[in-house]
Amino acid sequence: MARMKFLCDADRCIECNACVTACKNEHEVPWGINRRRVVTLNDGKPGERSVSMACMHCTDAPCAAVCPVNCFYTTADAVVLHSKDICIGCGYCFYACPFGAPQYPRVGNFGSRGKMDKCTYCSGGPEPDFSTAEYEKYGSNRLAEGKLPLCAEMCSTKALLAGDGEMIAEIYKQRVIKRGYGSGAWGWKTAYRETVAI
Amino acid sequence: MLIKRKVGEASRSKHQAVAAGLAAGVLDRRAFLRRSGLTAGALAAAGTIQLGAVRKAQAAGSSAVGPDTVIKKNVCTHCSVGCTVTAEVVNGVWVGQEPSYASPINRGTHCAKGAAIRELVSSDRRLKYPMKLEGGQWKRISWDQAYEEIGDKLLAIREKNGADSVYWLGSAKFTNEASYLMRKFAALWGTNSIDHQARICHSTTVAGVANTWGYGAQTNSYNDIRNAKTMIVLGGNPAEAHPVSLQHVLSGKEINRANMIVIDPRFTRTAAHATEYVRIRSGTDIPVVWGILWHIFQNGWEDKEFIAQRVYAMDDVRKEVAKWTPDEVERVSGVPGEQLKRVAEKFAKEKPATLIWCMGATQHTVGTANVRALCILCLATGNVGKPGTGANIFRGHTNVQGATDLGLDVTTLPLYYGLVEGGWRHWARVWDVPYEWLQSRFDEVPAQAGRKARSRKENMEAPGITSTRWFDAVNLPPEQIDQRSPIKAFMVFGHGGNTVTRMPEAIEGMNKLELLVVADPHPTTFAALDARQDNTYLLPICTSLEMDGSRTASNRSIQWGEQIVKPAFESKNDYEVLYRLATKLGFADKLCKNIKVENGVPVAEDILREINRGGWSTGYCGQSPERLKAHMRNQHKFDLITLRAPKDDPEVGGDYYGLPWPCWGKPELRHPGSAILYNTNMLVKEGGGTFRARFGTERNGQTLLAEDSFSKGSDLTDGYPEFTFGVFKKLGWDKDLTDEERATILKIGGEKPDTVSWATDLSGGIQRVCLEHGVSPFGNGKARANAWNLPDPVPVHREPIYSPRPDLVAKYPTRPDERQLRVPNIGLTVQKAVAERNIAKDFPIILTSGRLVEYEGGGEETRSNPWLAELQQDMFVEINTGDAAERGIKDGQFVWVYGPENKSKTKVKALVTDRVGKGVAFMPFHFSGWYQGKDMRDYYPKGTDPVVLGESVNTVTTYGFDPVTGMQETKCTLCQIQAA
Amino acid sequence: MRRATTLFSTLLVAATLGVAAPAFAQSPIQADGVNPMGARPTADSVNEEFLFKQSDKIQGRISIPDRKAANLIQPQGREYQNFREGWLPWIGALVILGMLAALGLFFLFRGRIKMEHSQESGKKILRFNAFERFTHWMTATCFIILSLSGLNYIFGKRLLMPLIGPDAFGALAQWAKYSHVYLAWPFMLGVAFMFVLWIKDNIPNKVDIAWLKAGGGLIGRGHPHAARFNAGQKGVFWMVAGFGAAMSVTGLMMIFPFALTDINGMQLMQVVHSVIGIVFIAGILAHIYIGSLGMEGAYDAMGSGKVDLAWARAHHDLWVEQEQARTASGPQLKGHPAPAE
Repeated sequence: MARMKFLCDADRCIECNACVTACKNEHEVPWGINRRRVVTLNDGKPGERSVSMACMHCTDAPCAAVCPVNCFYTTADAVVLHSKDICIGCGYCFYACPFGAPQYPRVGNFGSRGKMDKCTYCSGGPEPDFSTAEYEKYGSNRLAEGKLPLCAEMCSTKALLAGDGEMIAEIYKQRVIKRGYGSGAWGWKTAYRETVAI
Repeated sequence: MLIKRKVGEASRSKHQAVAAGLAAGVLDRRAFLRRSGLTAGALAAAGTIQLGAVRKAQAAGSSAVGPDTVIKKNVCTHCSVGCTVTAEVVNGVWVGQEPSYASPINRGTHCAKGAAIRELVSSDRRLKYPMKLEGGQWKRISWDQAYEEIGDKLLAIREKNGADSVYWLGSAKFTNEASYLMRKFAALWGTNSIDHQARICHSTTVAGVANTWGYGAQTNSYNDIRNAKTMIVLGGNPAEAHPVSLQHVLSGKEINRANMIVIDPRFTRTAAHATEYVRIRSGTDIPVVWGILWHIFQNGWEDKEFIAQRVYAMDDVRKEVAKWTPDEVERVSGVPGEQLKRVAEKFAKEKPATLIWCMGATQHTVGTANVRALCILCLATGNVGKPGTGANIFRGHTNVQGATDLGLDVTTLPLYYGLVEGGWRHWARVWDVPYEWLQSRFDEVPAQAGRKARSRKENMEAPGITSTRWFDAVNLPPEQIDQRSPIKAFMVFGHGGNTVTRMPEAIEGMNKLELLVVADPHPTTFAALDARQDNTYLLPICTSLEMDGSRTASNRSIQWGEQIVKPAFESKNDYEVLYRLATKLGFADKLCKNIKVENGVPVAEDILREINRGGWSTGYCGQSPERLKAHMRNQHKFDLITLRAPKDDPEVGGDYYGLPWPCWGKPELRHPGSAILYNTNMLVKEGGGTFRARFGTERNGQTLLAEDSFSKGSDLTDGYPEFTFGVFKKLGWDKDLTDEERATILKIGGEKPDTVSWATDLSGGIQRVCLEHGVSPFGNGKARANAWNLPDPVPVHREPIYSPRPDLVAKYPTRPDERQLRVPNIGLTVQKAVAERNIAKDFPIILTSGRLVEYEGGGEETRSNPWLAELQQDMFVEINTGDAAERGIKDGQFVWVYGPENKSKTKVKALVTDRVGKGVAFMPFHFSGWYQGKDMRDYYPKGTDPVVLGESVNTVTTYGFDPVTGMQETKCTLCQIQAA
Repeated sequence: MRRATTLFSTLLVAATLGVAAPAFAQSPIQADGVNPMGARPTADSVNEEFLFKQSDKIQGRISIPDRKAANLIQPQGREYQNFREGWLPWIGALVILGMLAALGLFFLFRGRIKMEHSQESGKKILRFNAFERFTHWMTATCFIILSLSGLNYIFGKRLLMPLIGPDAFGALAQWAKYSHVYLAWPFMLGVAFMFVLWIKDNIPNKVDIAWLKAGGGLIGRGHPHAARFNAGQKGVFWMVAGFGAAMSVTGLMMIFPFALTDINGMQLMQVVHSVIGIVFIAGILAHIYIGSLGMEGAYDAMGSGKVDLAWARAHHDLWVEQEQARTASGPQLKGHPAPAE
């Protein structure tokens, strides 16, 4: 089985936010929930770079570890998913997540954070594939259709890569060799405890 | 590129989940919001979002048959790159968007806007039905009532004030067919005051480039940038304005380890990816370009052979350039000489090199001159007409190139036929409408204020009023306006009201109009910012994604977009509305004489066929709807870099993607289009060409025809003029014409058949024979370094009207006051007053404006899209950290930005950043709906207000117009900023 | 390499500063006037390693109005994970089980402390009035539910979930969460009331030192002097006041996440809340023991509110004197409450 990962090539990322709206479009994600976002570092200064970030689907995912109700599970493709039926909206996964991925709708008064929502790597949730319930809760299930996450597929400069970790690392390596310098596999050390060796 | 995982059969898709819900009536497209646990609370928190009661497009109920997903392809409307949008439609509802991997242009990708475009169609913030303002209240009316009332008012105004008193504004979001139809409509109405967004984005490019080498368009393509070894981006921020183009730019940069030089007053997101960034003072492009050329000439890096063969009067440029020593360049622009030397050496020596520019170059009082200087830089280094070179001009809307081509322009007829008798007669023939009848439709203009009277014929040949000055043509004293009457009625199709400078005066103009009609998917600023009480109509037009038609991308590729879903709500497409209006106004029979009308809607394919029949001058003749549709079917066959399909393909063999114009001859000739203009290394019939011999054959004893340069396989091995029947006869080529072609030519020519040219020969015979002889129908001329017909034949630096450097104004003043395009341009008077009163002391910060990736144009439709609006919720001003510290301004707080005219001011949030230099501020131009601190949300018809509102930068922008095109100055004015 | 930090050192620094770190990272490369870059910006661009040398997390700018979204990478999440899943269950288990064991042992050796009888036996004195008792029990009830629902965050998935299955546990945990969040409010109110009601009797003084020296009478024989509250009770008071305040502050920060602090602050709040919570629970276990099983007669104080005068004289002699002096012929001194007629 493949080990799915994301890799954002910061040398290509231009903060166009296509990944963000592609995600909104694909899953009808409502206002205030940002499964994916683009952060600009060193904004407006020489050396500025932008990085698109969502759930990295970590190895030994901190969110899953700290979850008090064990609502997370990891698929055969190493995608970290969760069950909204079990989630209690406690917010611990956000504290543990190195990447700020978990999102909580504000559903009422204090404390009543709704069920956590996050990037599913476009692969739905625990419900049967392509069921209406799955779509309503988690959005569409592209992976089961043989497609990759739409954010990466629509990335304007093909900065954001999704797919099997080794293969996207290879694509990135080829680019680095071509252009003569790297831009780093952002977040890989924290998420996967490894990086792309060039 | 991406690695796909296949598990089992992808026989079901998410759309079945959605569709099952649709069929069962339990799930509509908003249901996810309500039922996913991500409920309305989040929306309520956002404050401005309401779950609309109006449901768009009810899906076709509970069909027993399994839902079928239909794939439809159209073109993204948000910039000129031309990204294919692939839509998945179930039961007439657009349920999903898939990456368009087959398109050689976007290869699956989108920017934020393209990836969110589905919401544009589904938005429940659109205008849903026709409305009129009655006593200050919006009232729903029927389409029939709208046509009746608007038509009656137009006819009454025409009767009283003449045809020119109605101003027609078209749109760069029109299809080619709608653009053409509207230009024709205006001609039949009897006015040349028909314009669109190109006026405010690249009118100066079109004027400058066409006056240099023949055609006003991007010479190469986005894809071709992959071949460049050096690229200069001057006055453009494609990372935000054309994100998908960066795919090609950055790939090229990687593959060739290319130099990417960004020249801009602002350290843009594009600059962040540059190998070299040159910060200049706004409005000093000519000094910078001349500064680069100074080094090139000084060191002999110019392409001497190219100049000798293909350029006229480069020596005139040398004289001007000699004045721009590194010291003077640095004094004026702030750029050190050493840096420009480095840039110059790369551009001249590390070839192929290309120049990319956008509105940073064009939106100036010296816009045309800027563009000319840039072209001259390409010419001097021989960087035109080859892969990887050229003027890669990135345009702004889906079809701004096409709408320009098809004549939504106050100075031309469709396809750049001039407003001269020959041009009018050409189109009269194509339209099958008597020339005399057309003439009779135009006003007679009486003599006034010392100007001579104009006959109908003269008025028919006089350029109209530009969209940048429409309100001046309302507000100014009548004798100042060079037509029968000031403007009384304004018909706006798909155009924002906040994209033109000097908004306070525009609002005054709006309030004075007798009739204002806004035909748009959204109410726009026009509906929301004025104090009108009556006689304002809103017509809901569908988006361009809900209609068939072709669109011309920046690289001149024409793509056929098909209707994705039927027009939502009660909206109608442009074809229908124009046709129905023409019916009411009494000339529908002429508008659609040779165009099929089905169920009251002119058929797009048939309009394109009429364009083909008349579009010889620009090579819009070979792109039949059938060929364009075949291209969309076979997108995947076109090469990523050359854009060419394999020769052996049965449907599109040898074609360039989208048949980029010029595509010579009739469609049957199967000319492949011209991916790279003026490329002499290719056969003309394969898409090669020469510089257009547009300006005669000789001037002041110097030849204007190419010398020892000709395109590959040409029977003529030197320069030659454009081809006419007369030239053909001299060459003996007239024998190659078929009898039918000859008969057509003789019929057109009447008494003077020799004057029938490649551009007026409706048989296409002259073009066909030219291709056989390997020559360009438009001749083989030299590009002009000196364009003697322009105000500044060789570009000279002129300080902005609101110059921050009063000390430079005396040496580099703007052009003298003059009447241009029916109105006065008093730039010099204003500039002098600004300098004398030392305005720069009270308004010490240079204000420039530009684009954000999330929004487009006036922003009404993109700000109505919550997926985009969420990403930019506040209008802001970028202010330098130093300037902010001096003023005690903190990041994120509200500030007042004051403009030097009309006591204007805007209340916006401060974004403190070093992206802008000290003494410079930047504001995006997409916001509207606040005016001088007041929230105007209540002025919108209920439920049509965009999610995000904000101050328009143009509330504080100021006077200043290009003398050639009336282009407004948006990139350089002065302001003051204070904490609010 | 990233600067080695421990969760706590980082968090303590953040806590000392009291607020979120600045939203925008410091610039590593300074702009200089008109022309900030002569060199190659591409090659000079920031990278992860470089930014981690500048700061222990990577922050940037983002246009959406959500400051925490501007954090790109915060490896402290991993440290938080280590604490919560590595240390916390052990700390929790050891402290709570340790306390239970200690109390068990104490009971085993010392047994129940019997009430000593005297001539005053049978006479009652009002120790806590109705409002005081209401406050106590409201707070206590909340505390128990908060403790259980709180412990559920740590131990539920380890102990309960295997027993009842994920769905039932999910539902239970959801209700536990609601009760934790909603009962926090009456709990905080209760702590505040108790603080106001009893602060004046809980100021430590010399008597307490003597009391403590005497081992509070728990060990050995005889009763040291004590006022209304002895030093042990004062300890409980101050524990409840202190821990209650700490739990309230950290709890409020979590109920209104990110209102006042950033991600590392939130982690700190969580850590503090859980550690104090555990110690608090252990402390209250001792309190419960001594107030019920551990000592005969003590429960009455919070039960009926009235205690046996003999018991009171033994345990709170100074208070009894004080009360008697204050209301020399007050009703409290009547042998028995007026019989119900």
